[in-house]
Amino acid sequence: MGYVAVKGGTHAIEESIKRLKYERVHHGQTIEVEKIKAGMRGLVDQVMSESSLYNETLAALAIKQAEGNPEEAVFLLRAYRSTVPRKHYSRVIETQQMNVERRISASFKDIPGGQILGATTDYTHRLLDFNLMDESDEDVQEWLHHYLNGSFQGDEEQLTLPKVLDYLRKEGLIPPCENNNLEPDDVTRESLEFPSSRSQRLQILTRGETGAVTSLAYAVIRGYGALHPTVGELRVGTLPITIDHPTDAGNDEDAFYIGEVKVTETEMLMPVTVEKEYGKKELEFEIGYGLVFGQNETKAIAMGILDNCLEHPTTEFPSHNEEFVLYHIDSVESTGFISHLKMPHYVTFQSKLDSVRKTKKEGISKEQEVKR
Amino acid sequence: MRRRRRTEILINGSQKLVEDTAHCIKDNYQVKVIQEPESGLVMMKVRETSQKSLFYPGEVLVTECKVQIVGKIGIGIVTGDQPELSYNLAVIDAAYEAMLPETIGWKMLLENEEKVIQEQRAAANQSILKTKVNFETMDV
Repeated sequence: MGYVAVKGGTHAIEESIKRLKYERVHHGQTIEVEKIKAGMRGLVDQVMSESSLYNETLAALAIKQAEGNPEEAVFLLRAYRSTVPRKHYSRVIETQQMNVERRISASFKDIPGGQILGATTDYTHRLLDFNLMDESDEDVQEWLHHYLNGSFQGDEEQLTLPKVLDYLRKEGLIPPCENNNLEPDDVTRESLEFPSSRSQRLQILTRGETGAVTSLAYAVIRGYGALHPTVGELRVGTLPITIDHPTDAGNDEDAFYIGEVKVTETEMLMPVTVEKEYGKKELEFEIGYGLVFGQNETKAIAMGILDNCLEHPTTEFPSHNEEFVLYHIDSVESTGFISHLKMPHYVTFQSKLDSVRKTKKEGISKEQEVKR
Repeated sequence: MRRRRRTEILINGSQKLVEDTAHCIKDNYQVKVIQEPESGLVMMKVRETSQKSLFYPGEVLVTECKVQIVGKIGIGIVTGDQPELSYNLAVIDAAYEAMLPETIGWKMLLENEEKVIQEQRAAANQSILKTKVNFETMDV
């Protein structure tokens, strides 16, 4: 179907935009950006992750403007991102440096450093808390005062923990692996081509739409894939970011520390049978990797599953087909394409209608000729 | 004190320390602004732990400023929209680049602030460590 431009409707569009604002404010109240930041952590994290831009304030602003609609908020933030110059690339961030806030393993009960539940809904009852209906800022501040004065004194300045994978590598349960310092590809600068590189796949997965990434990974486990994953390790915590001096790059000690970002990281373990010498079969583990902005645990786990799927391409399952997965999980691309169907297609659709009418008319004429 | 440690203390510590430190330079030297504080992006480069390769998980918004003091350029860069902080960081960076005598006295101030940050982090970590769990398997 071809495309044509339409004109007109300026006044109606202006009034439509006013109606949009009316829908946002017609209760006579507005929600402050700071309140969104304070109380909608999950949505803020999701929007930052899918936008691939880390800034809580801008994400909260986008959520406010989008009236809480994540797809619109992500669209706004991606559009904003395209107007800001990229000034630097960080030094390589090693996730072992993460200041851990939560760290669990579903595969091993006893892991070096222990399991730390941190903040999680995993063990909550999922019953609506009607007390929150009347919760005030004063209530919250009072609770905080009691909690923070609850004798938290310790000497753990950094909560950095050994990785479960390193432990498994030391034990010889997974093959050793050397650092690969090849510069990554960047899908925001160069269009994706197939076969894709690992860095392209990981970048597209981490900025994928949460629901899409989760659904495809769920399909894999239900049988539309060839994996049986377990969470080897899941971490939530902050990663320090440093950049080199632009003209005088030195070692880490001379770099600029610029702040920290919160991420969720997962290492998914997939048992595979490997054929060794003389046809001897051994069970080994492969690893699927997930890392996303904010605390987005389901998405990080799903990313780890899809990462491993795409490392083993097969035509048997769409979830192992990189073109199928990578071209369909981006929020702006998928929602943009679907929603463009609302835009005027009058002329092209009229031409289709004309074709259908003509075909039907010809069909009727032929039937009448046959009857004669 | 090297830049990595210094900038971490200044960004995570008390903003008053940054203001006071920058102020004593601004009062005594001419500060030429090369680049006003402006927004920019830093692309994060992360090493994934499965195959230990590198990839880009996304960008972080930063504010960056450049100033010149006695011929030396200082850079202030920090995550978020923080124009004043980035300007003060640039002034302090330029002071260290120019090896101004004031910087000698800052060492102790920064070390004291570092201790405060460490105590705060330790308290926060202690609260997190209260959620450390020891699962026991059950005989079924």
